[in-house]
Amino acid sequence: MSKLSTTGLTKAFSGLVAVNDVSFAMEEGEILGIIGPNGAGKTTFIHLVSGILMPSSGRIEFKGRDVTYLPAHERSRLGIARTYQLIHPLENLKVLENVMVGAVFSRGKSLREARLSAEGICDELGLGGLDRDTAQLSILEIKKMEIARALANEPEVLFLDEVMAGLNSDETKQMIETVRRIAGERRMAVGVVEHVMGVIRELTQRVIVLEAGELIAEGPYEKVSKDPRVIEAYLGGAA
Amino acid sequence: MKIRGAYIAAAVAAAIMIAFPAFLGAYPLNVARSVMTYMALAVSWDMLLRSGQISFGIAGLFGLGSYASILAVLRGGMDPLLSIAFAALVAGLVAFALGFAILRLRAMYFSITTLALMEIFRIIMHNLHDFSGGPEGVVLPEVIFGGDASALYWLCLGGLAVTIGASWYFERSKLRLALTAIRNDETSARSNGIDIFKYLLVAFVVTSTLQGMMGAIQVQSYGFTTPDTAFDANFTLLPLAMALLGGIHSTIGPMAGAVLLGIASEWLKLKIPYGHLVVYGVIIIIVILFMPNGLFGLARKAIRKAGGAGSPGSASNGSDAEEGAR
Ligand SMILES: Nc1ncnc2c1ncn2[C@@H]1O[C@H](COP(=O)(O)OP(=O)(O)OP(=O)(O)O)[C@@H](O)[C@H]1O
Ligand SMILES: [Mg+2]
Repeated sequence: MSKLSTTGLTKAFSGLVAVNDVSFAMEEGEILGIIGPNGAGKTTFIHLVSGILMPSSGRIEFKGRDVTYLPAHERSRLGIARTYQLIHPLENLKVLENVMVGAVFSRGKSLREARLSAEGICDELGLGGLDRDTAQLSILEIKKMEIARALANEPEVLFLDEVMAGLNSDETKQMIETVRRIAGERRMAVGVVEHVMGVIRELTQRVIVLEAGELIAEGPYEKVSKDPRVIEAYLGGAA
Repeated sequence: MKIRGAYIAAAVAAAIMIAFPAFLGAYPLNVARSVMTYMALAVSWDMLLRSGQISFGIAGLFGLGSYASILAVLRGGMDPLLSIAFAALVAGLVAFALGFAILRLRAMYFSITTLALMEIFRIIMHNLHDFSGGPEGVVLPEVIFGGDASALYWLCLGGLAVTIGASWYFERSKLRLALTAIRNDETSARSNGIDIFKYLLVAFVVTSTLQGMMGAIQVQSYGFTTPDTAFDANFTLLPLAMALLGGIHSTIGPMAGAVLLGIASEWLKLKIPYGHLVVYGVIIIIVILFMPNGLFGLARKAIRKAGGAGSPGSASNGSDAEEGAR
């Protein structure tokens, strides 16, 4: 059974159809690329499957269970976690506390247990200085913190919305390694949105391509990148 | 250790507070009761504020508690001490029911609605002549504890202690993480398993219960009330000013603000009648404009500067811009 799947998922914002009739599935242990030009609907798609937005129509299933209209906090408890394209630090909590939030509320851990698990995850991601305010973090550190927080939810499905954006090439390399490692160790299904195709090529086994809300292609990156519709979508977007 | 020192200081302060009646006369005890009442209201207001919700309804729940208590004694023959617990329960239940309607609101809409509710409670008490005594209010045949100044003081101190204990628990438990997360970024909170409505409801019900309890203690100590006394807007305004002055989002800030403003206002009341209200207004404006983190915020900043530690990184004010196309 798929970890996560959608059928005919659609979201319309007063006229604009941001996600249009998208059906897809994600399997355990898979790293899936989600690509498409700016405004294609990638972020909106993640908002829908994580419960931050409710769909106009269609269906979302998590391990066979209908979660289409389940509130976001319940989905994170079930095992769907995500990071945000625009960072969302909790600025009045310390770095460690930011990460603990996921463990306390999604996993129901005590503060003690949550502290231990958050420390472990930050250590794994190479994030130190956990007693700092979030305002003191570099962009790489903020992104790591948000990944750590998502991992503290102990998800089975994780979406990373442009976590490499704003990183330099060394940092990007490091992040690719990190994502590959955490995904492999946990047997998670990971959905990765990136604009840098090199990252997608290196990291993913399979990609889906969105354009104007529609899923226009699916398959290994090498194949999809030669698809005329995909090339057209990117060129059309650039023109 | 730092924590150990704080506990000892708190224990000493508590001992001194408990012993006050041994060496203070009736007038200072009276002033102390007024300060403690406002302090409890300021702390309880702050407890909800930690979630980002700004209530203007303190006076409403305070007045509701006052009336629930005095009417339970007068019309129901309830024991006065028990009526305080009863009034707290009533305030909590009313907040629970109202919470379902108003905790979906945010920012100004929530604030204005709580203000309106206070006015509605007042008007109801105004118009229920036979039951509530109408505009003239109600008088108890006898003040609780026969009006003994020391006993009244300890009763009020008890109410304050319960409030501070609750606030301390809010700061020490997962409630702090939940409420701070909700205040900083609701989207992030939802994505990390936080049931926002549940935690707002807990905070609203608990703080309303405390405010109702303080209203009941007040009314039992004075033995009478009217709609205009019970729902006096000062019970909203002064705690707010005190918390802002001392420093919000903490227990100690509102407490310090209450001591400073409470004593200053007693003094001002003697000098210029109603002058203290002007002073409150001015303080609110100055604090909001120049020291948004209150006196404790200033102190923290000074310590940080003196220590030279940490970056000056401006505490970013969380504007929760939603995602969208760039
Ligand atoms: N809340 C909203 N209200 C109205 N329109 C929206 C809203 N959110 C997104 N949109 C629109 O939906 C479309 C898809 O946006 P989305 O952010 O999902 O794209 P994206 O693929 O993530 O783009 P990018 O690569 O730039 O991040 C865009 O046209 C955007 O303007
Ligand atoms: Mg996006």
